[in-house]
Amino acid sequence: MSSYLLKTLTKKEEIDRIIRDTIDEVLVLRFGRCTDAVCLHHDDILAKSATDVSKFAKIALVDVDSEDVQVYVKYFDITLFPSTIFFFNAHHMKLDSGTADHTKWVGAFHIKQDFIDVVEEIYRGAMKGKMIVQCPVPPERIPKYQLLYKDV
Amino acid sequence: MKKPSKKSETEFCKVCRLHHDQGSRHKYFPRHKDFLSTFLDRFRSKIADVRFFLKNPSVLRPEEQSQNRVWCVFCDEDIVELGSSFACSKAINHFASSDHLKNVKQFLWKNGPAMDCIDDFRISEADVAKWRRKCQSLGNEDASSFKGSCGQSGTSNDIHNKLAFKTMDKIENVPAPHINSHHSNDVMPLQYNTNKFQISHSELSGVAHHASYLNMDASHLPLCTDPLSHLPGNGFGKDSIASRTKDFPSNGNYCNQEDKKQIKGSYSSPDGLVVTSISSSHSSDACGNVHSGAPPPWLDANDGKSSNVQLNQSDMSSFQAKIPGKTRKLNPNRVGAEWAERRKIEIEMEKRGHGINNKIDADWLPNFGRVWQSGTRKESRKEFEKEKRKLVKPESISIESEPVKVQPYISKRARRESVENGCG
Repeated sequence: MSSYLLKTLTKKEEIDRIIRDTIDEVLVLRFGRCTDAVCLHHDDILAKSATDVSKFAKIALVDVDSEDVQVYVKYFDITLFPSTIFFFNAHHMKLDSGTADHTKWVGAFHIKQDFIDVVEEIYRGAMKGKMIVQCPVPPERIPKYQLLYKDV
Repeated sequence: MKKPSKKSETEFCKVCRLHHDQGSRHKYFPRHKDFLSTFLDRFRSKIADVRFFLKNPSVLRPEEQSQNRVWCVFCDEDIVELGSSFACSKAINHFASSDHLKNVKQFLWKNGPAMDCIDDFRISEADVAKWRRKCQSLGNEDASSFKGSCGQSGTSNDIHNKLAFKTMDKIENVPAPHINSHHSNDVMPLQYNTNKFQISHSELSGVAHHASYLNMDASHLPLCTDPLSHLPGNGFGKDSIASRTKDFPSNGNYCNQEDKKQIKGSYSSPDGLVVTSISSSHSSDACGNVHSGAPPPWLDANDGKSSNVQLNQSDMSSFQAKIPGKTRKLNPNRVGAEWAERRKIEIEMEKRGHGINNKIDADWLPNFGRVWQSGTRKESRKEFEKEKRKLVKPESISIESEPVKVQPYISKRARRESVENGCG
């Protein structure tokens, strides 16, 4: 259902265009599969929050199974799904959530408010010139995972 | 040596509506003075309303008695006009009483300001005596004529008639200077009708008094000998107009008023409207007017400026291209500010159709940071580029080279052991 509300991108051109056309707003790109249960839960939260953050953020879904998108999958070192990456003015924003990977949010958000808080924090940080922000979500609600760094 | 300030008992200030232990010093505090001024102003407006009925007594209907009430802030008493026949009679009597005077003095002594404003909050005996006489005269007259209204109360619809009766009688009996003193501080009663019947008045008094009528000057009130003949119903207006066409043209033509001697450009139309005509110094023949089909002046004025306006618009649009949609100023130090400004200009130029290359380079990638532990994000990008090149080269080489033999992985220790075993 969320795919009807949020745009799904399958080509690199589309991703490039949305990154370049989103100016002075946070761009949230979800990399995942629409068939995965965790992705579906995550997409539901994104879809519900879309209107709330519409004034300062834009949300789009990226299908990782598409071939064109693989360059981005490799570019962002995406190994676990769903992975959410944040941009601001074509700059990749980092989020320090206490996990090993600050470049993305891995897993689904528990509640809508967590996602809104994260986006708001990123927006505020970006407007102040910060490229990395502290995650406002409490640790118990941050998904835990094992990161393979350089195949180790 | 400074004496410690004595703390007096806690008391409640009626003006500030708060408890304090400042004693007699409290009334000199600026906050108290501010509250006091508003407090007294409110009461002044109430007493002004009562003074109105003091000077213009009116009969109070029984159904309105409960609504006619005043709260006296000095005596802490609600004055309700139950059982009184005239409006605010109990309030007037109360404000003239000695008890009220005593309470006012006490209040002013306790709360300030100075005692010289004591007369603002009470009614003198002389005023009350006058009011009583007026009430007596009201009571003596026919109740049906003045039922529900009197003087300038305005509740009657025949206010013009009643005033004509009352005021004209007064004017007959009293000379003009006395009228001035009598009405010096009050609103002037309607001495004449401001409808078409005004013309009948003006005709009798002569042309010289027209300006005075229009200016409503009390000193030029006419002394009509027979005012009753010109009351409404006589149908006098139109005929009087027709007989004075020299001075007051009734054809509705508002031009060429220079011939008028007595009245400077004002006259009355047959409908009774008093209008003022303007001099025809700026005549309409040269430029034309709306009737002749001439262009409006604002378009003529802007002909020279239209081209400038267009140029300015182009400049403005280019300026506004930098901030499409949002007028508020954004932080110039925000992430990607320079890129955002450039991109906005590009978008604006694309919209205008300036032929910018819309195609994005296939190798374009956002400014990013892949997972890295140290160094800058640019280094991580360089690393990615290297890996990409490596991927491309081996792919091209592998096509030409022999197929790679896939072997199971042997650990370093195993390899060492096998070498040692082999050697040993």
